[in-house]
Amino acid sequence: MYGEPYWDESAYYQFSLKQIEQDLEAPTEEIHQMCLDVVNRVVADDELMRRFRIPECHWNLVRDSWQNGDPSLYSRFDFAYAGQGPAKLYENNADTPTSLFETGFWQWLWLEDNVDRGALPRQADQFNSLQEKLVNRFRDLQFLTPDRALHFACCKDTEEDRGTVQYLQDCAREAGISEHFVFMEDIGVDAEGRFADLKDQVITWMFKLYPWEFMFREAYGEYLEDSNVRWLEPPWKSILSNKALLPTLWKLHPGHPNLLPAFFEDELSKAGDVGALVKKPIFSREGANISIVQSGVQSGNEQQSELLSDGPYGEEGFVYQALHPLPKFGANYTLVGSWLIDDEAAGISIREDSGLITQDSSRYLPHIIL
Amino acid sequence: MTRIKRTRAINLESMRKAAGRNFVMRPVALGIVAALMGCSSKEEVKVVASVDDCVDSTELNREQCEAAYQQALREAERTGPKYDARHQCEVEFGSCRQSGSFWLPLMTGFMVGQMLDRDRHYYYNPVYRYSNPYSSHYDRLMTADGSVVGRSGKASYTVPSSATKPKPTVTKTVSRGGFGSVASAKSSWGGGRSGGWGG
Repeated sequence: MYGEPYWDESAYYQFSLKQIEQDLEAPTEEIHQMCLDVVNRVVADDELMRRFRIPECHWNLVRDSWQNGDPSLYSRFDFAYAGQGPAKLYENNADTPTSLFETGFWQWLWLEDNVDRGALPRQADQFNSLQEKLVNRFRDLQFLTPDRALHFACCKDTEEDRGTVQYLQDCAREAGISEHFVFMEDIGVDAEGRFADLKDQVITWMFKLYPWEFMFREAYGEYLEDSNVRWLEPPWKSILSNKALLPTLWKLHPGHPNLLPAFFEDELSKAGDVGALVKKPIFSREGANISIVQSGVQSGNEQQSELLSDGPYGEEGFVYQALHPLPKFGANYTLVGSWLIDDEAAGISIREDSGLITQDSSRYLPHIIL
Repeated sequence: MTRIKRTRAINLESMRKAAGRNFVMRPVALGIVAALMGCSSKEEVKVVASVDDCVDSTELNREQCEAAYQQALREAERTGPKYDARHQCEVEFGSCRQSGSFWLPLMTGFMVGQMLDRDRHYYYNPVYRYSNPYSSHYDRLMTADGSVVGRSGKASYTVPSSATKPKPTVTKTVSRGGFGSVASAKSSWGGGRSGGWGG
């Protein structure tokens, strides 16, 4: 899988405007509202905060960020969509979505270029207002966060993440924001517990391409509460980037056409005749640690599960989602990423993989609307 | 088509940094980026050394210049580079003063320019003269975050609009490295990762 191309110029996906608007754009905005409703319920309920594995010492941070209305920048839903019938939600990448640059910039240029050289008809369009909405959203965010410079951060030695963050820096600058960069590992604290960059500049507003569930559990987690930083994504996004979202959505909207049945580990008896289930860690990235089990199987009965992917996740527990394989086009399985800037659907990205689980080694493909 | 579902136009020049990064894929469109490099957003500013200089060289009156000077002094205290020892500061900036437990360079002057927004705000960032003779930045004016404004002594300077924005507060960091441990533990699993911590 590694070593295969990530970008594939040889192929593209073609949609009708109706497919885009009815099957992807509208459900994306609807599910997003359903997700915000989940946040509202979780912050109000200690039992749910525990279910979502939010460490108790950070409950105030998460709750305050929601109750203060801390603004969000972006999210990406992953859908299984075969071109007909309802798209099914796999998960919500609400905290640290990537492949933004490929979507907002390269995919857009790919279409311009192919139309200009006559390879695609002039009326070919693309569901991709990502870049325009990003820059506009940064303008809003600056208005909502006056007099603060925005620090961007990601981990060292992650070329893909650094590229994503650089793209966001470019968009922020385009919106007139004063921006800085620091690696997560280089962040420091001063005597008052304020975060600082390598130039000892105090961080007051930060975009971090780094999961909340990591930050909650790391040494500087203790400074989060009092640091007076405005975060992108805000701490309340830790509720949505969490796979506990999936069974919670299903409980609130059973039978919703865009949702797959999903269950917490201790409620597996409710799965009934759903059939095969995919076991997903509550916290995981890029399709790691996924396995398939038959419903009716008690948790812990690992002999009957089939491991689909390895990975470093799972210590915080698992949720179970009805198996709904990705559609296969040619030799490849296809996953549709549907982007939101704040509350607005903003475009799609398509990744395909020769295996059933889409991981970070998948190929990125452009699309057109015709 | 009446409904356009994509971004109308992209300022390719301003996205050039991300485009120049070593991305894994290489789409055919790379040539377009190089061809369309334009000019980025710049502004003309004056750097004045005193209230009198401000009155003489800008359209501000004495009262406005006095207020500008006071504001620049406050900004210098908040955002200026801070050193533990006097000699560290003097090596880089020549003249320094003590403030609490730190040493800060003396402000050489302050920048006066006009925001291009509706309200026509003025801004007054402090400016320092870098005086380390062994540096290629010798005799350059710079803002508190180290951005070079230009060689000292010019009547006006053209700066990127970022130079005109307020700078972050500068502090003394007492520890580093409290973030990143979970990522590093997880990346040592198996064969490591090709990507990052996004998803």
